[in-house]
Amino acid sequence: MTVLVELSTPVVMGILLGGLYAVIALGLSLVFGVVKEINIAHGDLVILGSYFGYVAMTVLGIDPILSLIIGMPLLFGIGFAIQKYLLNRAFKISMDATLIIAFGLSLILQNAYQLIWTPMARGLTTPYALESFSAGPIHVPLVYLLDFAAAILVMLFIQQFLKRTYLGRAIRAAAQDRKTAHLMGINTDRVYAYTFAISMALAAVAGVFLGLTFSFTPISGMSFLIIALGVVVLGGLGSIVGTFVGGIAFGLAQTLGGYFFGVAAQMLVAYIMVLVVLAVIPRGIFGR
Amino acid sequence: MPEETLLKVSHIDVFHGSFQALWDVSIEIKPGEIVAIIGANGSGKSTLLDTISGLVHPAKGNIEFEGKDISALEPFRIVNLGISQVPEGRRVFPDLTVLENLIIGSYNRKARSKSEQNLQRDYQLFPVLEERKSQLAKTLSGGEQQMLALGRGLMSDPSLIIIDEMSLGLAPILVNEMYKILREIRERGITILFVEQNVRKSLTEADRAYIMEAGRVVLSGNVAKLREEEKVKKAYFGT
Amino acid sequence: MAVRRNMKVTLPRLRGVLIPLIAVIVVLALFPVIGVSRIWLLYAFLFFTYLAMANMWNLLAGYSGLVSLCPAAFIGLAGYTLAIGTWFGFPWYLGIIAGGIVAAAFAVIISIPVFRLKGIYFAIGTLVLPEVLRFVFTIWAPIGEPVYGGGAGYTVKGVADVSQAQIYWLALAIGAASIFLMRYVLRSKLGSGLAAIRDNDSTAASCGINVFNLKLYSFVIAAFITGIAGAIFYLYQGYIEPVSAFSVRWLVIIMLATVIGGEGTEEGPVVGTIIVVFLYFTLARYAEISLIIQGSILIGIMLLAPQGIMGSLRKTRAYRSLLKLATRR
Repeated sequence: MTVLVELSTPVVMGILLGGLYAVIALGLSLVFGVVKEINIAHGDLVILGSYFGYVAMTVLGIDPILSLIIGMPLLFGIGFAIQKYLLNRAFKISMDATLIIAFGLSLILQNAYQLIWTPMARGLTTPYALESFSAGPIHVPLVYLLDFAAAILVMLFIQQFLKRTYLGRAIRAAAQDRKTAHLMGINTDRVYAYTFAISMALAAVAGVFLGLTFSFTPISGMSFLIIALGVVVLGGLGSIVGTFVGGIAFGLAQTLGGYFFGVAAQMLVAYIMVLVVLAVIPRGIFGR
Repeated sequence: MPEETLLKVSHIDVFHGSFQALWDVSIEIKPGEIVAIIGANGSGKSTLLDTISGLVHPAKGNIEFEGKDISALEPFRIVNLGISQVPEGRRVFPDLTVLENLIIGSYNRKARSKSEQNLQRDYQLFPVLEERKSQLAKTLSGGEQQMLALGRGLMSDPSLIIIDEMSLGLAPILVNEMYKILREIRERGITILFVEQNVRKSLTEADRAYIMEAGRVVLSGNVAKLREEEKVKKAYFGT
Repeated sequence: MAVRRNMKVTLPRLRGVLIPLIAVIVVLALFPVIGVSRIWLLYAFLFFTYLAMANMWNLLAGYSGLVSLCPAAFIGLAGYTLAIGTWFGFPWYLGIIAGGIVAAAFAVIISIPVFRLKGIYFAIGTLVLPEVLRFVFTIWAPIGEPVYGGGAGYTVKGVADVSQAQIYWLALAIGAASIFLMRYVLRSKLGSGLAAIRDNDSTAASCGINVFNLKLYSFVIAAFITGIAGAIFYLYQGYIEPVSAFSVRWLVIIMLATVIGGEGTEEGPVVGTIIVVFLYFTLARYAEISLIIQGSILIGIMLLAPQGIMGSLRKTRAYRSLLKLATRR
């Protein structure tokens, strides 16, 4: 019985953490599902969101979550430009060109972070970031709850957006059948730019909450990219619910891995799960 | 209104990579007509439609719509100008509902304001679509999907609608239904260009036809005249 | 490889090139003996090592349609095999071969899950591997604790017994081997099979090509050669630790060399590697923005000249006439 009680904290934490992973992965899933690009710079772009929150906090004195009011539109615009001027052109050259260009972008970002903020680990250490929340035997850091709440909000918003707006429907149509989308009068180049822009806005949110939850360094992007990839593959492309479930699966893998194998091994467990997921489910359980 | 041309395709050559799919193809469509393009598989019919819609661009020659040169335009601009294509194989968006499929048809700016109006018109033409409006498109039968594809094509408020192989995979009774609806669509002032493998049907439903073979137009004209043509008789009717 | 839209696989009969090639190799082999300065020996050493790796990456990405993001996995594994081997008393020359074998064996093991992944999923799978290995080797210390192993890495014992000239010749050997290997493979049945697979997996399969096996062969060959080159590198460096052994910087160098030179061309990696080594040294003082420079070059090349130098050159008339001259009997 006590085993269950002892497990309850890591389990709950895993689920809550899963929310964060879902938000991190959602932008990636969107771009992958719609534009059919694997944006391997996604992790570094999420970290861009984290650093933005850091700047807002230390330089401007604004609470990082509040700073999203600026952060989201900012990253939205950057994302729009990246897709429109870089990746759309790359896509017309070849699939591998987009991979290589995204890779180049990732390198540039990592180096830039290192120059501006040094390799030192940073964190968004707001007062509430250190608080804990207790319910019976379960103790979780407050930020984990915030992560989960943010995740639910974001998911709902994106879901409604995709369902109810013309742009949202155009995005879903372009994801299902690009050629026919052209015949509907959809300017796919522009739709892709908006899709990437949305994924960047999501990255901004993900970045801030990530910074509140973990400390990060210029090279943290890669770790979260790998987990996000696992989430996307597990949850299936184009499925918001799937991404959420996938995120929770990985959150649990990490917290339970840490519980059973020690803190040092928790990322390793998550990585191995990514490999397993890739090997077993190339198409995802919810995806088409 | 004088006999002005709606669509004029002049001497186009179209390539797929290094393979030439169309050789010096010219066709003309006048407002209010129903024109058929007939030919076997591989004759270049679909390539011609894709070129008109802007999915492919001609290497030589040009295409004019309502007097404007559209040969180099992006597909979405061509839809904006008033040409709509119902692609081969229906190609409804499988994971969108019937209603969503129809609405996405009116994505272009011009059509959005008339979206509700056109939707009602579609429901009139295809009552089954209204019945099934909340169903996912992939759950529809072949005939229903064809109706959805046609209805969706009409939502973009076109002056010219191009239909690729509408009768493929449909029972004859359904095919007749669909062509009856095409006549109704013409009544509402929309010009129709369709591609068909079914020669008999084409020559009864259309006003004029072009016959294509191996990427070229080999015969064209009034359907009455074509029916009499010796070559056609021999090739398609065996007498 | 999709970078070249034109599917012509032109392999001109350059039999005439073989003699000059061997002559060049002999000359290069004489460098340590004739007293070429150390810095040039170092340039050449790096050139040969990176060339072998770049050729192998080109074999996968440029000719087999497998964009592998895990060369670091092979390099690090081979390096660790060498280093740990010397701790257990294995001589370095055995360690190098063992390193190649371990890398190849690793390739075989992971090919089973990873080859089921098409295109982009394959890239993802290979992305994860070096990270996993880095973790493993940061925690694992089979010998030499507590000072060595884990995050501290290992020195390569017995390095003092190996002369600079010997290490140089080893690198030359693997570099030259990679060139000959590429020439041989591409003209063999394996080569034409790979060309078919690169163009279209399923079509190739329906032609009776055993897609999995061919991919496996090139993957294993690439792993083996890359591993050996990596082991030679660590023999030179004298020590190995997990962060740099499995670092993404290996991929950056290799990708740069292949992309600048021209993916899917034989000469591409040669040209590209020369440029990369050159850049490495001339930009040494800008080390802190090295990734920015390299990333920008990658993006720039992809946007401006996606076929790389050799790829673009091939298209020009001047090159084509030169080629005609060279291949005339």
